[in-house]
Amino acid sequence: MRKLLVLLAMVALVTLTFGTYTFYVVSHGGPADPFWGVVMKGMKDAAEKYNVEAVYLGPEKFSIKEFIDLLESAIARKPDGLVVTITNPVALDEPLRKAIKMGIPVVAINVPDSRPADEAIPYLCYVGMDEYLAGVYAARRMLQEFTPRRAVIAIHEPGHAGLEARAKGIMDTLKPKGIPVEKLDITTDPTKALTLMKSYLIKHPDTDAIFTLGPLGAHPAIQLVEEEGLVGKVKIGAIDLTTKITDAIKKGEVLFTVDQQQYLQGYLPVVFLYLYNEYGLIPHEKVLTGPSIVDKSNVDIVEKTVQMGYR
Amino acid sequence: MNDSSTKTYKIPWPLKLRELGAVVGTMAFFVFFSIISEQFLSIANLGATFTMAAELGLVTTGITMLMISGEFDLSVGSVFAVVPMVMAIMINHGANEILALIVAMLVGIGTGLVNALVTLKTFIPSFITTLGMKMFWRGILLAVTGGFPIILSHKSKVLNALGGPLGGGLRYSAVWFIVIAFIFWFILERTAYGNWTFATGGNLGAARALGIPTNRVKVINFVISSMLAGFAGLTTFGRFKIVDPTLGQELELEAIAAAVIGGALLTGGYGSILGSFIGAVMIGMVRSGLVLAGAPGYWYRAFIGVILIVAAIINTRIRKKVAG
Repeated sequence: MRKLLVLLAMVALVTLTFGTYTFYVVSHGGPADPFWGVVMKGMKDAAEKYNVEAVYLGPEKFSIKEFIDLLESAIARKPDGLVVTITNPVALDEPLRKAIKMGIPVVAINVPDSRPADEAIPYLCYVGMDEYLAGVYAARRMLQEFTPRRAVIAIHEPGHAGLEARAKGIMDTLKPKGIPVEKLDITTDPTKALTLMKSYLIKHPDTDAIFTLGPLGAHPAIQLVEEEGLVGKVKIGAIDLTTKITDAIKKGEVLFTVDQQQYLQGYLPVVFLYLYNEYGLIPHEKVLTGPSIVDKSNVDIVEKTVQMGYR
Repeated sequence: MNDSSTKTYKIPWPLKLRELGAVVGTMAFFVFFSIISEQFLSIANLGATFTMAAELGLVTTGITMLMISGEFDLSVGSVFAVVPMVMAIMINHGANEILALIVAMLVGIGTGLVNALVTLKTFIPSFITTLGMKMFWRGILLAVTGGFPIILSHKSKVLNALGGPLGGGLRYSAVWFIVIAFIFWFILERTAYGNWTFATGGNLGAARALGIPTNRVKVINFVISSMLAGFAGLTTFGRFKIVDPTLGQELELEAIAAAVIGGALLTGGYGSILGSFIGAVMIGMVRSGLVLAGAPGYWYRAFIGVILIVAAIINTRIRKKVAG
């Protein structure tokens, strides 16, 4: 009986203090997507630690319209803070400016407003990765290992803004060193991707570095070096994390990959909004959660944290 | 229909005027790339190119049968991914490999049956039926995988026979392509069923009047199209042991392009397996040939677009000459 009373008192205490603030995280990614599951975990962990209420909203399937609808409904509840991915700055411009005018603090995550500063939505700060920098870091990590005689960037979706920014980062870093580097459209089909990379290697046998911009490039590239016995001769630098890529890093087939530590994209905004509501403190401009390099030196820890849901 | 009447004559050489456009085009590219790139004629390249063509060619073979009988299948790209996904999930959950293969193929066959029954019973165009089916399966794929690839957790002998290495840059998928293309070439050109297929797509009313079971022909061809698309997906899975949820996207359009380059008509009644075979090889060859020629990486798609239109024009001219 006494135990029950204590429990009841605890529950009452928790309910009293629970939800001092309410924050909404509205993202273009659905909760079923494992990438966003990690973001959600970060958000929940932070909410628990700071004793605030945080709600995640995201469309089941990618849809800008549904995303905007979710955002509108979040704004209508006048939360103490709003965390939003700026997937489409033009479509989000009106609702977010309205929210900011209403006095709701807004933090951007995952995708920033890429427009010039005077046009961009005046959110407090951005928490996420810089795609261009991801390319730069990938190229630097490769250079740290060796100076490639020739490098090729396997791009599976030419014209995709994020991938093109990654590719540009790689090219801008390698070209000044006098390393020939070009983009190769490998399509999203694995057989074509592998054959085209192979054709490229036949045409340019001096190629000793392949950069892939996502799993759709990394997986066939791994298969290629396995099939052709090129492990170690042609070094692969990847971007993004899958178990196939971490396995390949352990086997020495892939040199490194770039991770954006999206757990922090869920965790940090909650902390920032708490501090902002409580003390008016907020970091400015960009808080970069990536690029973070995963290679042989830290792959075991990364793998473990992937299983635990932190990556 | 004009074609089915010529079919009664014995033609010793399999090549006919129908495939002329594709043959001449392929030869021209072959010579062009051989001159422009020393490495084009290397065994490594030819093997790799043919392997790449095999995946597309298997899908094209099925879609050609269906197109000749006057229907469309836009769902092949999704079936190409769903069939290996079923097999991957089953094997990962400890199911017997053979059982997984059978169930996976049944999903492919079932998809073809549903495509056929919906199209024939409700009289909506197969373009719409299969467009819906394409979206349906792609959605299921995304929902089940959560957007992440499914990786095969252990080795599989069955999969090796589907897409394993054969030496010389060739893989089993290339053998399957040749065998299956030959089987369907034979069915189309040398059997009554082949005649029925041409007649059903060429002139449906006349075919019915002649007592050809046109609906049954269409159902079978819908199933063939789905089945071969799923099988092609399995050969890819056999090689990579991984199923990305984006696998096979836009493959349907490429398969239709290969069939059209090979002389098939979008309106049915005309086409050839040999032509489609050559069309698929040509698309693969141009793709790797451009890389070997050192063309800028972003040119490929534009090139195929031009080839498609030119091939269609040539094929139309040839057909008019034959008819007139």
